[in-house]
Amino acid sequence: MKMVKTGAVALLWMLMSSAMAGEAGVALKADDIRAEPFGDAKSVGQLAANDKVDIVGKNGGWLQVKSAKGKGWVRMLSIRKGDAKKGANETAGLLSMTSGRAGTGKVVATTGIRGLNEEELKAAKFNETEVALVESYATSKEQAQQFANEGKLVARKFDYLPEVK
Amino acid sequence: MKMTYKLLFSAMFAASCSSVAAFDFGALEKQVKEVQKQIPQQAPQQSQQPPAQQLLKQLPVSPQAANLIKEASGTTQEEEIAIGRQISGNLLGAAALVKDALLQRYVNNVGRWVASQSERPDLPWHFGVIESNDVNAFAAPGGYIFVTLGLYRLLQSEADLAGVLGHEVGHVIQKHHLKILQQSKLLEAGSNALTSSVGNNSAVQKLIGSGAEIVSRSLDKGAEFEADRIGVVLATRAGYDAYGLPSVLQQIGHSAKDDGSVALLFKTHPHPDARLDKLSIAMGDRFDKVQGQPVAQRLYRTK
Repeated sequence: MKMVKTGAVALLWMLMSSAMAGEAGVALKADDIRAEPFGDAKSVGQLAANDKVDIVGKNGGWLQVKSAKGKGWVRMLSIRKGDAKKGANETAGLLSMTSGRAGTGKVVATTGIRGLNEEELKAAKFNETEVALVESYATSKEQAQQFANEGKLVARKFDYLPEVK
Repeated sequence: MKMTYKLLFSAMFAASCSSVAAFDFGALEKQVKEVQKQIPQQAPQQSQQPPAQQLLKQLPVSPQAANLIKEASGTTQEEEIAIGRQISGNLLGAAALVKDALLQRYVNNVGRWVASQSERPDLPWHFGVIESNDVNAFAAPGGYIFVTLGLYRLLQSEADLAGVLGHEVGHVIQKHHLKILQQSKLLEAGSNALTSSVGNNSAVQKLIGSGAEIVSRSLDKGAEFEADRIGVVLATRAGYDAYGLPSVLQQIGHSAKDDGSVALLFKTHPHPDARLDKLSIAMGDRFDKVQGQPVAQRLYRTK
């Protein structure tokens, strides 16, 4: 019994720490750090472009961050995830090494399923069976409405966004 | 351009030689019937055509005037679907559907619900997840939309999926790919051949070029930014958290330029950072008062 409890605590701790570990991020532009995830919440600090942050939480369009400039909530779209894009490069390098494609500069696929490049798309041949299959999965408007109800999704009005010049 | 004209003429020539046509197209008759069978189920015959074309049937109009009206009103929905079906069949020839019926039905439910919030809720929408580790999504005219398994696996909630599908629905309702075909003037010239035999995939194929190459053509940046804005709004209208698409873009922006799985996406789209920047300005604080659902629990997990 005690062991189960210890195990549960350990699991909880692992879950919490993975959620709290924090992902690196960089401010794309200057923006306020706010006390709560709302546009009218109190500002507790100011991020400058390129400031590094630690992302520790998410709520809708807001990210909870820790940074040298303070701790709080910043608009999601003011932050880019990852630091200086280093990590991803290293991963790609590793994958190309293991798949024996190092030096080709082209990692098309990493687990045996091929990628989709222009040549393959150009050479593609019509597959009637597959089209018939995709058509067989179609959902009617009514079924989609039912599906939405089950997920407690309610349709609402919202205007299209104006173009940004 | 000259080359494509030539192709078109040869297609028209082939169609006019009925014996050749019979030989060539005999096997395709099934397809034609498939398309025709589907159309009436989805929408009443009358709404197939833009009002101008319905009017044409009722009024005596000279052929010249008829052509002008047709040019102005564009391609009929029937033609649009035939073109989209052909492109989809080719794309599926390059990357087949993931053989997981539950996944495919799930994606169709989410997609149809999002598309229901658009101005074309009655198109026969189709959605599919295809076998590819690439991170990409494709839209073909008439409401055929595909997401790669590589992209699907990046998703963390149903709202993410809704945002991605919303972007592609945006391409369809704004007819971005269809407009490329219309710009090349091929569609107007070839439309007679198209209407006379819907699903005649030889004629449609000539129109769209080689295989599914058209889905790898870049749209102009403005069209991509527009589809992003539409995707966010459609997901919001459907009751989802508006930030699904931006989350996915952030995720993709994370990958390095030399990561092969995003090579085609990066080649044909503006960089995710640029898209996020535009979205950020367009969205501003407009969504602050809107509470949407992430629906993270229901996201179908692939095996």
